[in-house]
Amino acid sequence: MVPYLLIAPVVIYYSIFWLFPVLNAIIESFRNVDGIWTVSNYIHIFKDPVFYQALSNTAFIVIFSVTIEFILAFGLALLINTKFRGSSMFLFLAMIPMSLPAVAVGAMWSSGLATRGWLNSFLMTFGFIDDASKILFLAGGKMSTMLLIIIIDAWTVIPFVMIILLAGLQGIGEDVREAGAIFGGTKFQILRKITIPMLKPTITTAMILRIISAIQIWLIIVLLYGFNRLPVLLEQVVLNYDQLGAEYFERIGLALSVLVAIIVSAAAVLYLKVSGSFEKEVKQDE
Amino acid sequence: MNNAIKRQLKRSAKRSSLYIVLAGIAFIIIFPIFFLFSFSFMSDYETYSEWPKPLIPSFKANFMIDKNSEGYHLLIFNKSEDKYMPFGPLVFTNSQEDIDNLRKFIKLQSNSKITSQKIMEYLKIVDSKSRVEFSIKKDLLANYILFFQVVNGAPKAVLNSLMVAGATILISLTIGGMGGYAFARYFFKGKNILKLSVLFVRMFPAVSLAIPMVIILAKMGLYDQPLGLSLVYSVGQISMSIWITASVFMAIPVSLEEAAMIFGTTRAGAFLHVTLPLALPGLAASAMYSFIGSWNEVIAAVVLTQFNPTFPVVVYKALVGSQGQINLITAGSVAQALPAIIFTLIIRKYIIQMWGGVKV
Repeated sequence: MVPYLLIAPVVIYYSIFWLFPVLNAIIESFRNVDGIWTVSNYIHIFKDPVFYQALSNTAFIVIFSVTIEFILAFGLALLINTKFRGSSMFLFLAMIPMSLPAVAVGAMWSSGLATRGWLNSFLMTFGFIDDASKILFLAGGKMSTMLLIIIIDAWTVIPFVMIILLAGLQGIGEDVREAGAIFGGTKFQILRKITIPMLKPTITTAMILRIISAIQIWLIIVLLYGFNRLPVLLEQVVLNYDQLGAEYFERIGLALSVLVAIIVSAAAVLYLKVSGSFEKEVKQDE
Repeated sequence: MNNAIKRQLKRSAKRSSLYIVLAGIAFIIIFPIFFLFSFSFMSDYETYSEWPKPLIPSFKANFMIDKNSEGYHLLIFNKSEDKYMPFGPLVFTNSQEDIDNLRKFIKLQSNSKITSQKIMEYLKIVDSKSRVEFSIKKDLLANYILFFQVVNGAPKAVLNSLMVAGATILISLTIGGMGGYAFARYFFKGKNILKLSVLFVRMFPAVSLAIPMVIILAKMGLYDQPLGLSLVYSVGQISMSIWITASVFMAIPVSLEEAAMIFGTTRAGAFLHVTLPLALPGLAASAMYSFIGSWNEVIAAVVLTQFNPTFPVVVYKALVGSQGQINLITAGSVAQALPAIIFTLIIRKYIIQMWGGVKV
């Protein structure tokens, strides 16, 4: 009886402030400004070429940034887990990008990547470039724009992914890997046959969290490029809901936000299914 | 013997290459953050009239006043040009009005404070010696003060942010802490399903929740109110608190509670007098995590506020609308970032501990 009493407030809170608004959003997304049932909001979205651009840009950013971030973060976590002298100091440092608010990250890079920003100033001061060869970081085409966003995103979140993986690595314990070494395993074999399989739950956690938040990238793009320069899903939600200033567009934004929620949930469930973690949890419950 | 030396050499080579890699990474992390801070201390003159911009803000500004038949001239030392450059009004006289304007101009453009009397004294020296060079200490916090003065509603936004964070901590820690205790101490039917739904709720896009909440909060009279925003933030933060507090309670042995119960306390008494004091640092960490989450959040705050924005929304709007100069905005961003950085560093042990306990 006691555990249910303790859990009850959570369930009640989620029902009122999560389930109810979510259902509300789904219902309202099928109504127009006059309250008439319709699918016109969704038709507007699916007829809009910008939506497909936003979809493909988001997909591109998610796939590349998550892959790159995971590989680099995993390498870093393995490195730090060797417990060298000063590793806690290094961890301390790695936590800073993770704690920076998104607007501060935006201010940091927009002051840096502007033509007269700190990056060009730095390069000029040390003689890498001269005034005539200032790099126009923000004026590139679509590909270089996305690449820049991926790099900035990597800078921001690699420490976060690394810390999750590191926590998992520290849970494995040295003895298992030592046993592997005693039985003649090479370092690579130990990594592949012992460390990675044992780390799998942690890897799943890290990947899910990253995929979900990568789909929701928008602020850094808007802060560097403004709206509509590189359309992504969430930026379109804010644009429609907050910027265009008409109830018609607010409804579009609402319908878009429902789509984003569906995409995010589908991506998470898909990843859980593919990695096989989902069945395991449900089975444990039965 | 020879082999031993070889091994030692190999080991130290490995060691040093590790440290080189680490130094490289540390450099990549610090490099942009350094410039964010650096910009926030720069005066308008350094930001807009020196090129390349100084990498380190100067602590003082150097001036020169000279004079010809038309009147006095003020010059400022430009580091990138490595010489004195004209600064402010082309010509000025020793009238009270001119000197007052000059004083204001110096303060606004170079973040340095000088009194009118001091300027008068310098002018007297110029009269006798034809020119004078002097330096004034820069007010390093000038951008921070100015940000809160010129950006509309910034001080109130900080207050709003604090209220939102406070309410979020209160709600998420009470409800989440109870849930976390249940997860740590009991087995009950549907525990794993509930664990998954907690995760799912946490992962749900904030904006997809914020937009429908606009109408619901408006009906409750809480739209554009700090409490309304914290009700939305608490949804995600309760999940976070459940994870953190569950890992905290799990680390405290049940046997301690059982021992207290043998000595005649009730279960609630054992919790109150034994477990709670031991869990306090962990609960504080959970509170700080909620603080960081709500202090940094932007998108739900953009949707759910109108006249009472939170601090990140104010900085975001200043940046998007290019309302202010970049040195001011970086000062605002640093002011916004500092509490989040400090709290993260305080609770870093718990963050690692928590992720060790979370398994999807």
